[in-house]
Amino acid sequence: MKPAVTALAATVFAALMVSAAVAATALPDLKGRTIQAVTENAYTPLNFADPKTGQGIGWEYDAVNEIGKRLNAKIVWNTMAWDPMIQAVHDGQYDIGMDGISITDDRKKQVDFSDPYMDNKEYMLVRKDEKRITQPGDLVTNTDLLIGAQSGTSGFYASEDLLNPNLKDGDKPDDSRIKLFDTFGASVQALKTGDVDMVLMDQASVQGYLAADPGVFQTIGDPIGSDQFGFIFKPGSDLVAPVNAALASMKSDGTLDALNRKWFFEYNAAH
Amino acid sequence: MSERTRRRLADFPYWLLALALLAVLTSWAIVSNEGYADIFHALSGGVVTTIWVSLVAFTLAIVLGLLFALMRTSRQPVLVQIATFYVELVRGIPILVFLFYIAFVGAPATIVAANWVTHPLQAIGLMPALTVRNFDLTWRAIIALMVCYSAFLSEVFRAGIQAVPGGQVEAARALGLSPRQIFRKIVAPQAFRIILPPLGNDFVSMIKDTALVSSLGVADITQLGKVYSAATFKFFETYNVVAFLYLTMTISLSLLVRFIERRLHRY
Repeated sequence: MKPAVTALAATVFAALMVSAAVAATALPDLKGRTIQAVTENAYTPLNFADPKTGQGIGWEYDAVNEIGKRLNAKIVWNTMAWDPMIQAVHDGQYDIGMDGISITDDRKKQVDFSDPYMDNKEYMLVRKDEKRITQPGDLVTNTDLLIGAQSGTSGFYASEDLLNPNLKDGDKPDDSRIKLFDTFGASVQALKTGDVDMVLMDQASVQGYLAADPGVFQTIGDPIGSDQFGFIFKPGSDLVAPVNAALASMKSDGTLDALNRKWFFEYNAAH
Repeated sequence: MSERTRRRLADFPYWLLALALLAVLTSWAIVSNEGYADIFHALSGGVVTTIWVSLVAFTLAIVLGLLFALMRTSRQPVLVQIATFYVELVRGIPILVFLFYIAFVGAPATIVAANWVTHPLQAIGLMPALTVRNFDLTWRAIIALMVCYSAFLSEVFRAGIQAVPGGQVEAARALGLSPRQIFRKIVAPQAFRIILPPLGNDFVSMIKDTALVSSLGVADITQLGKVYSAATFKFFETYNVVAFLYLTMTISLSLLVRFIERRLHRY
């Protein structure tokens, strides 16, 4: 293990020990109950398969395992694709689901959300030779420009907000300049070939694509987007309150910040 | 009960009655349930795209497939080799993979080639330089479907052509008919009856496979379904409507093929 990583692990461990000791008294006790957790393993660095071992790892794994520890519950992990995963959580097949799921009012009608555990920031990825885009507003004024995204992702909603700045409640947003692809990979490929001019993605993914294809892409401007991620539960689940309590304790004692450092900075740096 | 009424009762298309009942029930749910009505409204824009992609891709695939079937059944060894190579290569590659090849490798290469060819015209200002944007994503999807299905269809056509007994062709040749006449008057009419059921089968399968173009940014029924369900988390309801729309198209097509089949067998 590299020294930096070791040092970090030690810090995280120490922080966890202290916080666990402090928080253990105040939090609800689930008395060893088994919690079935589900994710997709397709969203680096929140949940993904470790390239070396094939085991699921990431920010959300660490966070939910820690929540389980604080609530005295046993976490059992499952993986499933996005579409059936949400249906399965809605039906109660799993107790808690996560996949960087943006909290929206429409979705709240189908599942219960935890309190937000992460603010999502989206970065603008463009081609290296892109001259027409210097800031987000350029995509509103220049109607030749197209955006690539995947339906349902935070990038899609951020793109929609970006292109429809004056949208009132109840209006139907104009998505005609958003081209939808099934995977991040396909939308980045479309950016490379020139079918679209900008793709929004979070910092961890941006770094991955910049490194995989050096000299082809660049990021431009400040990050945008204002949505937040939450865990999902079946409607009326009795786990929402305990998980929120555990999240609050992890926020106040710095555990969430430690996880952000670990997965968004150190993990990338170590590879 | 007479033998005749018994047979008539047994032949009655109960399956069609059951499907019709299903359609009526689903339509009722869509009309009466506000949630379903919303979904239906959101997806209806994709119906035209799905029909357009299916029709164009299948028509083109028939033309290309027939061409390769003729090559493969010809007496020129070179043509046979080329056609066999094409069929074996293309039908072994998953359609989704092919879609990405055409979209992100084939299309940009075509644009580069087109720019090279039209360079003189561009130099004197008669036409602007082409960009990859000029090559519509829907057309790339159509071409990928056409190429994939032409390989399957050419085998269907070959089966039809080869099902016509060789003796008939020899007899026609002995009577002095030209190869073109033999194909048009002897082989094609008989082959058509044989290939119609598998052709209908492949068309139904093509309609469903057009769902793959949704992964390429084409706003068909499936893509609109993905967008709607991802936004509202109403996956089950949305995919019910998706299934209903596809079924409406495929069953209408099946009925049309049956009708044509019956007409052909009248004589």
